[in-house]
Amino acid sequence: MGLVIVSHSAPLAAGLAELVAQVAGADVPIEVVGGGPGGTLGTDGERVLEALRRAAHGSGAVVLMDLGSSVLAVKAALAELADDERGRLRVADAPLVEGAIAAGVTASTGDDANGVLRAAEEARHVGKL
Amino acid sequence: MSASSELAVLVRLPAEVALHARPAGVFVREAARAAAEIRVEANGRSANAKSILDVLALGATGGTELAISACGADAAEALERLSQLVAHLT
Repeated sequence: MGLVIVSHSAPLAAGLAELVAQVAGADVPIEVVGGGPGGTLGTDGERVLEALRRAAHGSGAVVLMDLGSSVLAVKAALAELADDERGRLRVADAPLVEGAIAAGVTASTGDDANGVLRAAEEARHVGKL
Repeated sequence: MSASSELAVLVRLPAEVALHARPAGVFVREAARAAAEIRVEANGRSANAKSILDVLALGATGGTELAISACGADAAEALERLSQLVAHLT
């Protein structure tokens, strides 16, 4: 079970993937897609679709987004996928950083899609202070 | 020993290793292998040892004493593994 990280910012997505790999270990596959066409801040529907396609194999992946149009881009991309691809992806309604860390560690323990999704979504309830 | 009895150990983090990022991930992944419910306390906070965000929020710096408790059939084995792991974190 892997992760897909979708952000308005390529460095943000890449940095988060790096942090997740450090905490969760290197065995959790992470697809990263950040920024708009031409390296701007934003979203790029084509690249989001490609990232989801790459992740929609085997045990699949949990998809995490940062804000607004990232969410819309993921929804639009999901609609483009074949049923068997879509069935391998779960979209997390979760804070991006905490959700990705929690999901990554849970995935690294071999938990299934439900467990990984739950870990991501429970992240919003864990206090920092 | 009854399966429901709670067991606990005290173990100190190595002086130079905080329970942050990578070490916290190592700890949580080991805890997650156990069926037992496991909690870890430090700095007056208690965390679910299987929740990375909970464990990170402990803010346990190097040299902090951790109180790890476990309840369940494999509690003793889990505590033994975790205390060994904590003592040897790098």
